[in-house]
Amino acid sequence: MGLSRQSHMFNCKESIDSLLPFLEGEMSPEDEEHLRQHLNGCPPCVEFVNTYRATSGLCRKALVKSMPPEVAGRLRAYLRSKLETK
Amino acid sequence: MTQTSVEDDRELLARAQAGDMSAFEALVDRHEEKVYGLALRMTRSEADAAEIAQDTFLSAYQHLSEFRGEAAFGSWVHRIAANNALMRLRRQKVLDIVSDDLAGPEFTDRGSLAEVPESDWSKRADDKILDEELGRAIREATDALPEGYREVFLLKDLEGLSYEEISEMVGISIPAVKSRLHRARLALREAIDAFYKEV
Repeated sequence: MGLSRQSHMFNCKESIDSLLPFLEGEMSPEDEEHLRQHLNGCPPCVEFVNTYRATSGLCRKALVKSMPPEVAGRLRAYLRSKLETK
Repeated sequence: MTQTSVEDDRELLARAQAGDMSAFEALVDRHEEKVYGLALRMTRSEADAAEIAQDTFLSAYQHLSEFRGEAAFGSWVHRIAANNALMRLRRQKVLDIVSDDLAGPEFTDRGSLAEVPESDWSKRADDKILDEELGRAIREATDALPEGYREVFLLKDLEGLSYEEISEMVGISIPAVKSRLHRARLALREAIDAFYKEV
């Protein structure tokens, strides 16, 4: 590995700043290579990537909302009253 | 939604467009949970969410003839609901988009992570049942996000809207949407990480 290539290897901050384009496959091949090189030698950043990736799924579970039956009933009654008068 | 459900929606939609009220009610049955859930997450008010669901389906019915079916019916009403929720939020208050105090990882002067994560809790995301305390911590952290970040996060990661749709609805550029999404995810990741460090 040449010196110039070494000097481009990402640090933790640059790696974490690049996570969104990295996970969406939108990084340039060069930057992706720099990021992968960093991850290969940085276990804390690997854990960070894993937990960043898991965050949305945990939030989806925590933020599930269901519609109470009485609200569904009111919605149906409202729509009937509005649409029958059309 | 499965391919079969989308096809069923198309059939129901065609009947509803021809004036069959029961077909429209069947479409409401299929999509009301998702619409109400979006509205409740966005507004955090059951009363507002119920009204948004009403407005959304009434508006969908009034514009049925204009719907050409390029997108799925579910996506269409979902977008209407998201727009209604955003309009309501904007009517209620000036959006707070200050982000200076958004949590996120800290770095040393050389750009290294200042704090090493204690454990990789990502596997726990696969658990079917979410720990009640963790759920509460996540809801509190989401509520604590500045409004402009919270809405982008919800619209993208919970509701699955595209960057283009969010950019148009929220009125900011796609790079700004992505930046807010990333900052919101970092803040929420920090909150979950803090939860696991405490337990």
